[in-house]
Amino acid sequence: MPQFESHFFSSLIFWEVLSFAILFFVLYKFAFPGILSMLEEREKKIKDSLDQAEHHRSEAERKLKEYEAKLNTAAKEADGILAAAKERAQRLMEENEQRMTVEAERIKGDATREIDHERRKAIQDIRAQTTDLALMVAEKVVQRSLNEADHRKFADEALEALSKSYQR
Amino acid sequence: MEESPLHPFELHNWIPISLGGLDISINKAVVMMWVVVSLVTVLMVMAGSARKLVPGKLQSLAEIMVDFIRSMIMDTMGKAGMRFFPLIATLFLFILFCNLIGMIPGSYTVTSQIIVTAVFSFLVYGLSLVMGFLLHGVKYLGVLVPPGTPGWLVPLMIPIEIMSQVARPISLAVRLFANMTAGHVLLGVLFGMAISGGLLIGWLPFAFTIAINGLEVGIAFIQAYIFTMLTCVYLGDAFHLHGGDDHAH
Repeated sequence: MPQFESHFFSSLIFWEVLSFAILFFVLYKFAFPGILSMLEEREKKIKDSLDQAEHHRSEAERKLKEYEAKLNTAAKEADGILAAAKERAQRLMEENEQRMTVEAERIKGDATREIDHERRKAIQDIRAQTTDLALMVAEKVVQRSLNEADHRKFADEALEALSKSYQR
Repeated sequence: MEESPLHPFELHNWIPISLGGLDISINKAVVMMWVVVSLVTVLMVMAGSARKLVPGKLQSLAEIMVDFIRSMIMDTMGKAGMRFFPLIATLFLFILFCNLIGMIPGSYTVTSQIIVTAVFSFLVYGLSLVMGFLLHGVKYLGVLVPPGTPGWLVPLMIPIEIMSQVARPISLAVRLFANMTAGHVLLGVLFGMAISGGLLIGWLPFAFTIAINGLEVGIAFIQAYIFTMLTCVYLGDAFHLHGGDDHAH
């Protein structure tokens, strides 16, 4: 085999070692540090980005929960306010109604009393006038004056008779 | 066949040079080494200086290879093995590019020279021995007695383990050399058949030539990977005597 021709060995070994040494030195000095640090940098960057994304996600979730809780509270509060307003309105209405009723009762009572009073007064007036009239007529008829007490007695009797006959 | 299938492996002195009696003549294999060194240097130095967070094609290619070697070292030796990264990465790139350049018709596969692969394998094995004795002292001889060996088996195990240790550099060198040689021999034989077979029958070996060529590209990668992987394993063995982490670091 041509590969076992030993007279090429010395030059192959020499140039191989030299080439390899040069390549090793150049790569060691100028290539590997850059590439390795770049790889590490990228790994770090990716990891950081992932971490950051995770952080953002949990932050967003937390915020969402917070807002949901706030929304819930607000809804509950609104419900409370609405219920209170309704209750207040109801109460006011009831109060008003009661007051009106009382007022109406009072007005009615007043009116009734006044009417009663007026009626009684009117009856008394009529009675007095009728008595006077009857007295006047009787005086004319009897042509003699009776004393006051007599007048009254007669007048009352007359009126009694009158009202009886009237009722009948 | 007019031409031996081993013909492509022949070397001829192009420029005879002698250094103090040592023959260091320039031949095809030497020129191919220079080509490989230039290519790898250009690729890696450009990628190393690009330093873009979103890499371009060249930077991606270089970073993929570097990351590949890095994870290989991490898996076999752990973080402590990263001090060997420059050596292992250079070895991988050199062998890979030698294998791949050899696929170009008319070029030369440097790694099909047994002496070239032997230099690498003895370098690696020698380094693993030096590391082992530096880290563990005389206790490194314990590699010859695998843990859990019953006492009465020790006299038997030591010669066996010595053989397995000696086999390491030899197999490392021969594996790469034989794979590269065999592939090219096979291609040469098939292509010779295609030429001599004529159109009627020659298309069959020619089709095989194309298929084997594709296979050979894969083998170029795989052999570079195997060589580097075994380098990591041997150095890792020197690091972690008997696979224990407690000795090293």
